Amino acid sequence: MRPQRPARNSRDRLPVEATVRMSGKRRLLIPCSGIGKAVGEVAREATRLLMEELRPGTFETVCLPLIMTDDEGDTGELVRSSEVFAIDGCPKKCATASVKHAGGEVDHGVLVVRVLAKNRSHRPESIVDIGEGGRQLARDVAMTLIEEGGV
Amino acid sequence: MPFLPKIGIIACSGEGCSGGNISRAAALKVLHELRPHKTLTICLPLFLAGDSGERGFAEIFPTITIDGCSKMCAARGTARYSSEPAVKINIEDYAGDMCLDDTERWTINHSTDIVNRIAEDVARHVDRLRKELEEGLI
Repeated sequence: MRPQRPARNSRDRLPVEATVRMSGKRRLLIPCSGIGKAVGEVAREATRLLMEELRPGTFETVCLPLIMTDDEGDTGELVRSSEVFAIDGCPKKCATASVKHAGGEVDHGVLVVRVLAKNRSHRPESIVDIGEGGRQLARDVAMTLIEEGGV
Repeated sequence: MPFLPKIGIIACSGEGCSGGNISRAAALKVLHELRPHKTLTICLPLFLAGDSGERGFAEIFPTITIDGCSKMCAARGTARYSSEPAVKINIEDYAGDMCLDDTERWTINHSTDIVNRIAEDVARHVDRLRKELEEGLI
């Protein structure tokens, strides 16, 4: 049984030991945050699933816009020094682009529309409510990333 | 009837704290409920990932940014990669530092009133900006 994530507030990073692999790197999970398409909401829901239900205590995340704008803070260094897991909603791949912008590399990436193409019955309804199909798709995405990343 | 641009709504939507989720919920309420035919949005990171088309977004459409904390990533990102927003909303002005509390990072539980207040203010700004556009003031 995996350990439960300790109580914390979001200004504190997860205890380092909770997200560090044998390689010594922290695992950073970055979804695209898309608000224009339902697949962006699916990426967000997949992130919630991974962090809260499927692999609590395994990942930490950071606001995607902060990667774009935090020139003087430690966000860029966090991205560059971590094992990065990215969930992109659409082929624009904003999460991946932001990681590269910070000088990092995506170690394990999943594209929601590609997962959707494998099983079109799991289709999100809208960005306001992705519906049961969207929630199933988010679980498919989360499981794909678990398999891809070996976590 | 002259062409009247829609108003761009850009939320930080950050996953790092509750404020990001509240900004996202307020933006979606304006976009899909309060002013669905007068507003539109673009994913904030698309300014970075996109081409000149996306980066020209805020040059064509006046924008209102909604930020979940005082780092103001949406306002700064929009200004840096597109153009200066017409209105910058900071959730801390409504509810203090929402990032001290992790409980609404993924779902809105007890901040529905805050979401509604922000969304209604944004809707008022939408109406004002469109009126100013119509009158040629901006």
